[in-house]
Amino acid sequence: MNLTFFNQFTSPQIMGVPLIMLALLAPSAMFQTQNNRWLTNRLSLLQLWMINLFTKQLMSPISKTGHQWSVILTSLMIMLLMINLLGLLPYTFTPTTQLSMNMGLAIPMWLATVLTGLRNQPTASLGHLLPEGTPNLLTPILIIIETISLFIRPLALGVRLTANLTAGHLLIQLTSTATFALLPTMPTLSMLTMVVLLLLSILELAVAMIQAYVFVLLLSLYLQENT
Amino acid sequence: MPQLNPDPWFLILSLAWLTYILVLQPKILSNKSMNHPTNKNNEIIKTNPWTWPWP
Repeated sequence: MNLTFFNQFTSPQIMGVPLIMLALLAPSAMFQTQNNRWLTNRLSLLQLWMINLFTKQLMSPISKTGHQWSVILTSLMIMLLMINLLGLLPYTFTPTTQLSMNMGLAIPMWLATVLTGLRNQPTASLGHLLPEGTPNLLTPILIIIETISLFIRPLALGVRLTANLTAGHLLIQLTSTATFALLPTMPTLSMLTMVVLLLLSILELAVAMIQAYVFVLLLSLYLQENT
Repeated sequence: MPQLNPDPWFLILSLAWLTYILVLQPKILSNKSMNHPTNKNNEIIKTNPWTWPWP
């Protein structure tokens, strides 16, 4: 069969057996479970510090009741970060390029924040639909616009992660193909393309980390509005 | 685009959630910190200077 550039995003399987479970379990191997020792080693300590620092920084603008979400948001961040970083290795499958996974994570989390807000503080949550200081004439239109933007949030959350990672992987594949294709005929241009490829890889490294962080940060923002 | 093929959608979705709930959250929860989170103290602690015993 002829492979297109999009074939790297098909869910992997060997002779009909889906391998997506391996692709999803591998990132959790990057992050060690702590044991019950009092004194651990440097790596475990760094991991603990990183989690504490991240949780503290993420949860500080959120009210006390919202701190129940610490585990959810921190573990989500670690999962997305590890999946994105592992996907940068050649020939690996990145589950976060799949719309199904990202929408499946984004929609329930966003819905949970909205329902929490509507249940515990319905007036304040509905009040977010009208920004302060709007002229009275614009009120009905603005409420409609804010409702639409509220419902677009989970779509944007899921599609942002998918699109960023898919586009990055596609670009890497395209530039590496160009490097190889130009090597016999125009080697100087091929080397220049390889420089572009190196810069692109550094960019993708940054994007992988940033997109995971942005996902969780936006969720924490939606939580902040609603708790 | 293979991401739009709806065949493995449910499998990927359910396996992602299962990994998240059953594998990753216990891993993060196992990172128990020793102290409760506290706010920083605003008081300045006075220290008395001491002379080092030189040999």
